[in-house]
Amino acid sequence: MDKEIRDNLLKLFQGKLNEAMRFYLETCTRCGICTEACHVYASMGHIKYIAAYRHEIVRRIYKKYFKGRGRLWPSVGEAKELSEMALEELYEAAYSCTGCRRCMVYCPFGIDTQMLMSIAKLLLIGAHTEPEILTMLADTSVEKGKSLDLFREGFLTGIKNLEQEVVKKWKIEAKHTAIPVDVEGADLLYVALAGAHSIVPAAAVFNAAGENWTLSFFEAVNFGAFVGDPTKTKLILDRIINEARRLKVKEVCICECGTAFRVMKQLSGKQPFKVSSITEVHARYLRESRIKVDKSKVLGPITYHDPCQIARNGGVIDEPRFILRHLTDDYREMSPEPKYNWCCGGGGGLVALGEETLDFRMKSASVKVDQVKNTKAKVLATACENCHTQLSDLNTHYKMDVDVRFLSSMVADALVH
Amino acid sequence: METIYYIILIPMAYLAFAVFIVGIIVRLVTLFREPRNPTTLQIYPERRPRWLWALYDTFFLPTVRRHNPVFWVFLMFFHVCFLLLIIGHLELIGEFSVFQIIPHEVFLGRGFVGLILSICLLFFLFRRFLSPYRDLSVPEDYYLLILLFLTVLFGSQMDWARTWYDYGNLSVVEYREYLSSLFSLRPELSPDLTSSGHSFMLVLHVFFANLFLMFFPFSQLMHSFLSLPMNKLRRG
Repeated sequence: MDKEIRDNLLKLFQGKLNEAMRFYLETCTRCGICTEACHVYASMGHIKYIAAYRHEIVRRIYKKYFKGRGRLWPSVGEAKELSEMALEELYEAAYSCTGCRRCMVYCPFGIDTQMLMSIAKLLLIGAHTEPEILTMLADTSVEKGKSLDLFREGFLTGIKNLEQEVVKKWKIEAKHTAIPVDVEGADLLYVALAGAHSIVPAAAVFNAAGENWTLSFFEAVNFGAFVGDPTKTKLILDRIINEARRLKVKEVCICECGTAFRVMKQLSGKQPFKVSSITEVHARYLRESRIKVDKSKVLGPITYHDPCQIARNGGVIDEPRFILRHLTDDYREMSPEPKYNWCCGGGGGLVALGEETLDFRMKSASVKVDQVKNTKAKVLATACENCHTQLSDLNTHYKMDVDVRFLSSMVADALVH
Repeated sequence: METIYYIILIPMAYLAFAVFIVGIIVRLVTLFREPRNPTTLQIYPERRPRWLWALYDTFFLPTVRRHNPVFWVFLMFFHVCFLLLIIGHLELIGEFSVFQIIPHEVFLGRGFVGLILSICLLFFLFRRFLSPYRDLSVPEDYYLLILLFLTVLFGSQMDWARTWYDYGNLSVVEYREYLSSLFSLRPELSPDLTSSGHSFMLVLHVFFANLFLMFFPFSQLMHSFLSLPMNKLRRG
C-alpha cells in the first residue's frame, strides 16, 4: 500500500474518532466476557468471531497511528501497520458482524462493537474494497432521490395497481383513496419498502384505523448505513425528512425494517414530527380500540423474533408482545429475555449481499435456529425485512417447519369490523 | 548499591508519580474534549434513574456476575482489595480519621490484603494462558499483571519478613517516615531503610510500583476512569 492511500485511509479513521469511539478504543481489557455473546462465535466457534478479537483488528491500527505508544513501543499492544493484509482482516471482521450489539450487553464497560466496525467499514470504502453490491444499492437509492420526477409516474401507476389488493383486505368508502400519496397536512407519513408486502397490509390497517395518512415516495431502507458510508446514509435519510417537513406530517412511521427505523429514530435529530415503527403504531391502534383483530385467524403457537435494531437498539420491546396477545392465546417467549435475543444472522448488510453470504449466514445462525425450535412454535413472527428473509432462509435450510410471518401482515389479515 | 537504592527510592519515585498524574490529566482532558457522538448509544430495555444504573454497572459488574460468576468473585476481591491498599498507603502518608471509622492498625490488612490480591493476580494471569483468552490478550495485558504481581508480592512481604527474621528495625514507622518525607518534598532515607536485611523488598516494591505508575496512563488501566462514562453511554 503506498503512502498516499494509507494517509487518506488514516484521515478517514481520524474522522471517526469522537469521544465515545476513543473510549471504546482505549478501554478494552480483553477480559473475554464477550466470548459467548456473538452468535457467529456461538454457532461456529472460531476465535476470530469473538467481539474483543474483532475490536482488536481495528484497535491495533489505532494503536499504531493514533497513540504515542505506536511509535515508542508498538509491540506492547501488538500495534499493526495498515496494509493490504490488514484490510482483508478488517473485511472479515466487519462483514461477519451483523451489528446486533448483543456483545454490548455482556461487556462490563459496554463497548459498542458496531461502532468499531463502522471504522472498518469506512476504511474499506476508502480503499474501494467494500462489497460492491452494497455501494451500488446505496448509489441507486441516492440517484432515485435526485431524479424524483423521472420515476414519479411509474411509482404512482404501481401504487394504483396495488389499491385493489388493499381494498380486498379492508373495504373503504368510495370517496377515499386506498393508498394516498403526497397528501399535504396528513397526520402520518408511512415510509415503506419497495414491494407490495410492505405496502398493502400496512395500508389496510391505516384505513381500518381511519388514519389520515400518506405514503412516502421513498424507500425506507438505508443502504448507506449497511455499507457504513456516513455521507450516503445522510443523503438517503434527508430526503425522507424533507418530504415529512414539506407535507407537514406529525408522525413518520417506518415500515418493518430495523435499519431504517434506527437510522430515522436516532439520526434524524430534533424534528417537528415524531418517529415510530409500524409495530408501535399498530399497538397504539389496538390500545385505543381503533382497530379490532380476530384471535382465531392465526393458528398454532406463535413466537416473536426481536429484530436487534428495533428491540435491543431501538427500544420497541413491549409493543409487539402487546399485539401478539391480541392475535393468540398461545404466545411463546424465546428464552431467556429480549435483551439476550440472538441475532437472526442477517443484519449489517449480509442479507442484502444475497447468495454471496448465504452459506455463512446459515452456518453462523444455528444458535438462532435452536432458540426458535425450543419454543416449539408453529408461527415465527418478526418485524424486520432483513430478519424475515434470513429467518425464511434458515427455515428452509434447517427444516424448522415454522411459518415465518411479518407482524404487520398478521394484524392486517386478522382485522375485523 | 547505595546509589541504585537512592535512585529508585527518590528520583525515580518522583518521576513515576509525575508521569502518572500529568499523564492521566492530559489523557482525560484530551478524551473528554473530543466531540460527543451525535446519536444515542443506549441499549434497551432502559431502567431509570440511568445514572444510578450506570454506577451499579461500574462498581458491581453485573454482566460479569451473570456470565462468569467465578471470574466475578476474583474481580470483586481484586478491586476491593486494591481500594483497601490505596487507603493503606494514604495512611502511611498521614493520619486520616475518616479511615479509622473501623478501627485498625497501620498498615491496613497487615499483608493479608496483599496476599488476596496476589492470588487474584495469579488467577488473572493463568487465565490468560488459556484459550480463548490467550488469543485475545496482547503483551500489555501480561506485562501489567506481572508488574502488579511483583509490586504486591514484595509490598505485602515487607512487614512479614521483619517478623519472620525477628528484625526490630525497618517497620511501619520507617516506611511511614519515608513516604511522608516524599510527600512533603523533603525526601529522606534513614540508614535503616537501605541497610536492613529486607531492604531489598522495599526497593523492589517501589521499583515495580514506579514502572506500574508510569505505564498506567498509557494502558488499558485507564478503564478505571472510563468505565463510568462508558456505562453511562450504554444506559443512555
